[in-house]
Amino acid sequence: MPLLTLDTVSLRYTSTGTPAVDGLSLAVEPGEVVALLGPSGCGKTTTLRMVAGFERPDAGSVTLEGRVLVGPGTFVPPEQRSVGMVFQDYALFPHLSVVDNVAFGLGALSRAEAQARARSMLKLFGLEGFESRMPHALSGGQQQRVALARALAPGPRVLLLDEPFSSLDSALRASTRVEVRRVLKSLGATVMLVTHDQTEAMAFADRLVVMRAGKVEQVGTPEAVYSTPRTAFVAYFLGGTNLLPGVGFGNGARTVLGILPVAGQAKGNVLLSLRPESLRLVPDTDSVAVGGALRAEVLAREFQGPSAEYTVACGGLELTVRGAPELALGPGARARLEVVGRAVVLEDSPE
Amino acid sequence: MKRRAPGWLLASGGLMAALALLPAVYLGVRASEADADAWGMLLRDRTWGLLWRTLGLAAAVTGCAAALALPLAWLTTRSDLPGRRVWAVLLCVPLALPTFVSGYVLLAAFGTGGALEEPLTRWGLPVPPVYGFPGALLALTVSTYPYFLLALRAGLQAQDPAWLEGARSLGLTPARAFWRVTVPLLRPAFASGALLVGLYVLSDFGAVALLQYDAFSRAIYVQYEGAFDRTYAALLGLALVVVTVGVLVLEVRLRGRAGYFRSAKGAARAAAPVRLGRWRVPALLLCGAVVALGVGLPVGVLLYWGVQGLSGAEGPVLGPALNSVLASALGASAAVLGALPLAFLAVRYPGRLTVAMERAAYGGYALPPIVLALSLVFLGVQALPFLYGTLAMLVLAYLVRFLPQAVGTVRSTLLQLNPHLPEAAASLGQAPSGVFRRVTVPLLRPGLLAGAALVFLTAMKELPATLLLAPIGFDTLATRVWSATAEGRFAEAALPALVLLAVSGLGVGLLVSQEGGSAPS
Amino acid sequence: MTRLLSLFLSLTLSSTALAAETLTVYSGRNEKLVGPLFKKFTEKTGIQVKVRYGETPQLAATLLEEGAKTPADVFFAQDAGGLGALANAGRLQALPKELLDKVDVRFRSPQGLWVGTSGRARVVAYNTKKVKAEELPKSILGFTDPKWKGRLGWAPTNASFQAFVTALRLLKGEEAATQWLKGIKANNPRVYKNNAAIIEALARGEIDAGFVNHYYLFAAKKDKGEIPVANHFVEAGDPGALVNVAGVGILKESKKADAARKLVAYLLEPEAQAYFSQETYEFPLVSGVKPSAALPELVKVGSPQLDLSKLDDLRGTVKLLQDTGVL
Repeated sequence: MPLLTLDTVSLRYTSTGTPAVDGLSLAVEPGEVVALLGPSGCGKTTTLRMVAGFERPDAGSVTLEGRVLVGPGTFVPPEQRSVGMVFQDYALFPHLSVVDNVAFGLGALSRAEAQARARSMLKLFGLEGFESRMPHALSGGQQQRVALARALAPGPRVLLLDEPFSSLDSALRASTRVEVRRVLKSLGATVMLVTHDQTEAMAFADRLVVMRAGKVEQVGTPEAVYSTPRTAFVAYFLGGTNLLPGVGFGNGARTVLGILPVAGQAKGNVLLSLRPESLRLVPDTDSVAVGGALRAEVLAREFQGPSAEYTVACGGLELTVRGAPELALGPGARARLEVVGRAVVLEDSPE
Repeated sequence: MKRRAPGWLLASGGLMAALALLPAVYLGVRASEADADAWGMLLRDRTWGLLWRTLGLAAAVTGCAAALALPLAWLTTRSDLPGRRVWAVLLCVPLALPTFVSGYVLLAAFGTGGALEEPLTRWGLPVPPVYGFPGALLALTVSTYPYFLLALRAGLQAQDPAWLEGARSLGLTPARAFWRVTVPLLRPAFASGALLVGLYVLSDFGAVALLQYDAFSRAIYVQYEGAFDRTYAALLGLALVVVTVGVLVLEVRLRGRAGYFRSAKGAARAAAPVRLGRWRVPALLLCGAVVALGVGLPVGVLLYWGVQGLSGAEGPVLGPALNSVLASALGASAAVLGALPLAFLAVRYPGRLTVAMERAAYGGYALPPIVLALSLVFLGVQALPFLYGTLAMLVLAYLVRFLPQAVGTVRSTLLQLNPHLPEAAASLGQAPSGVFRRVTVPLLRPGLLAGAALVFLTAMKELPATLLLAPIGFDTLATRVWSATAEGRFAEAALPALVLLAVSGLGVGLLVSQEGGSAPS
Repeated sequence: MTRLLSLFLSLTLSSTALAAETLTVYSGRNEKLVGPLFKKFTEKTGIQVKVRYGETPQLAATLLEEGAKTPADVFFAQDAGGLGALANAGRLQALPKELLDKVDVRFRSPQGLWVGTSGRARVVAYNTKKVKAEELPKSILGFTDPKWKGRLGWAPTNASFQAFVTALRLLKGEEAATQWLKGIKANNPRVYKNNAAIIEALARGEIDAGFVNHYYLFAAKKDKGEIPVANHFVEAGDPGALVNVAGVGILKESKKADAARKLVAYLLEPEAQAYFSQETYEFPLVSGVKPSAALPELVKVGSPQLDLSKLDDLRGTVKLLQDTGVL
């Protein structure tokens, strides 16, 4: 049984405008980390705030452990929801010390117990010794961990994270992500986070919910969503892709790049997604002839460390190809293109 | 990370601090002439009694004014109270009423035999107290709560809504979250309001004298008034300066060690107004009652005096009104310009010296204004004879008197200003003075205007310095009102007093309309 | 902005560039009262008068602070105390004998440094609805009777009251003055800021009787019309019958002493004396000018024999007032 259920939830900020969230349904299992992913304005933060109780949906219901938090005629205020939240700017109380911030939500305990629990939470996040500091005297990463400790201290049923890593610099981000995920998993916390960063979502979450214009575009494990995007939007948003129109015949499709193997079944006119890493670029040395190769011209090259991304012209299309960085192919170079992976049939129409 | 302040900034800040300390220095000079007799009088039990009475009144007024201003500030910023802006303007107008008028107004309305005493008693309603401690408390609370209101409104508008939401998600009801997060975060606003109100009460003579409460300022006044004894008055004044230092230290403690800027990147979301629901009517009643007492009552009494007047020989009002506006506007500009270096040093280059310079601005604020006026007479005659008797001297007096009000406003605006913006300008090749002129000042504009409006309002009603230092024949609305009330010609006081209120009302309107517009972030 | 600047400059300059025949007067007397007199003086003599109006003690303090560098030529004070303070500090110059001699010796400086221009008597103002004239004691000392408990009003911070207490000390001795202050205090008098406030309170019926100067009643009647308040003059020679004066002195460093003496002379002329009696209901001090019909003759008021210049020594009075808990 899911822990948290959102059932056809909708919210419109203005009476005439488009809905911020439009009939969204979602179920979160206990102990699961779910990421709401999408570009800004897709309604992901609004969804989070409806779960927290800061926004009230116009329609639909939110249920936590079988208890209706919001629904027709019901609205449980934020403080009675057992839902913890970490804000994008952390919202640490500047007038309270670190330990008092963490003990803030522990009003049910005696002062000594609350302090003890706050200290143990801080220890969990490696913040011993910072108890009596004021928030403004902490680094960004430390502030974030205090915010997490504070949100977790009262033992919420669900933890909500709003862009939790966006304020950290990129070097810190990856290591913090791993560390925070480890702690959350060790606590068995159920987590719903919001992010616009696909790398972060894929690395951190057990399940992705890709959102677009207030609706769910696709739900699945990061691997499933990445390898079989349902729409061009999802394919583009997660890692980028090449779109190819084609004519399907079962497990293959005819395209300008020739006949491509496809995952699943393709019939009639279809739109295919071919990931950049499913293509390979080979220097065009006449001595080597490989069957099925296509001629391409390199338009641009972007070095990315472990790999390089090439933009090439081929068969009247502009394609993105991921390749080895040591290939010495600058703009204008000639090369051959090989298809090494499968294409995915998208639900979008090829027009 | 400590940086050294540029010399020109230190020099101008030092000049301002020196000017602000002038009244204290003057008192020192006068007190040095004191003989054993005068010292003996100072150290009597009576002085301590007076001191306690005065501090008690100051503390009580500060507490009551804060308690009154907090709900009003919240209602006019965070709730869906109908006509929030109009209420905000009306609630600030009492600031413009001179206490020598408001004291008379309270007596005329609620005093024994006053116009409202009999009807209220007949309807079984309580008559507000007007004499002694309760009377002084009421009169001073009504005339000073706007200082808190302005500070708290600004504080509430600057608060990040995420703080409140964070408290809610940690299990606090809206009411508990208000007390545990919103109110503690208003600490700087409470501190700056308390400083202005507390020190003002120490300095006030008009209300306490009229309402028969024996306070320190009255004791000082008596020495000038009755005994022509400047030496003993100076000793009493110095005692008040010592008290002021204590209050200033206390306020620094009160500010606490928190950092009160938003830690967020990007802009804060605007908080949605809280729906009052069934509390709407009580909220409107509260605002209405305060406005009735602070604005309705004085206007009513003044109109009554005006209508009742038999003489009908009021002098011209337009000239004095223009003079008032001119002098107050110049004074306001001077005070804000003078406050800039002090606030800037204290916020950007915090250190013992710079903070002491900023604190010095408050040095003479608790002194009765007559002391300030005499100290400027002293300065003018001894050092600036070419300015003495000119408008410039009056503007200088307003600068010294109202510097604390401007420093407070400018300082809090500066605290909210993102320090990266001036740094960005510096990286674009601007010299420090260019950064200040082209980036800092424009970003501070709303705060500077608010500070100027506050000084303008209080300068409009200033009396002792205006009488002694204005160019001869330079009548203002305040001197007109004084001239009439001093001889008990209340009918003649009505018109200039009403014009004073009206012009000041426009000033308050400007103050409120500047809020929340293009707030720097 | 330029207009503002030019206005600022013109105001700055106009006050420094005084014409030769312009007198600067510091007046503790209200503009409404004495403004018309200055105007008439200018019409008569062609001498311009610039006046800084203020409260007498504050102007006195200002003059003491300004010292020899004062821009003032003449000080027109509300009461003898302010003039006495300046005289003691050596800030006033001697007046010509012919001017001094116009006024009874009681109403001028024994050293000839200032001269009274009009007299103001201490009276007991009372509410005619609450008190009958015959109930009022003949001496000010009678108000210590407990039957006046809760019915009296006074203004202990007010200069004219303090001048009266000084007179009481000088005439009856410290002990009697102390007893009187304690006696009145025991009757729980209401405390007011000034005489005008006492008349206001009497009109409202807040108190039954109050110690004031005689002419505030007439000013209040001008403002409010008929009010149920009347003046009670205590018997001649009583300390309560003290007549204090408003007066003028010429500043020692005045460079326009001739013009200043003309102004002092004008204030003692019958025209000005009559003006005081008719407009301000004060007692004219120059013989031959009759007071307003509403007032008794000055001789009948019977001010006690007392050197008014001694009234400037107020430190003792203030100390007494404080010791008895009045202040």
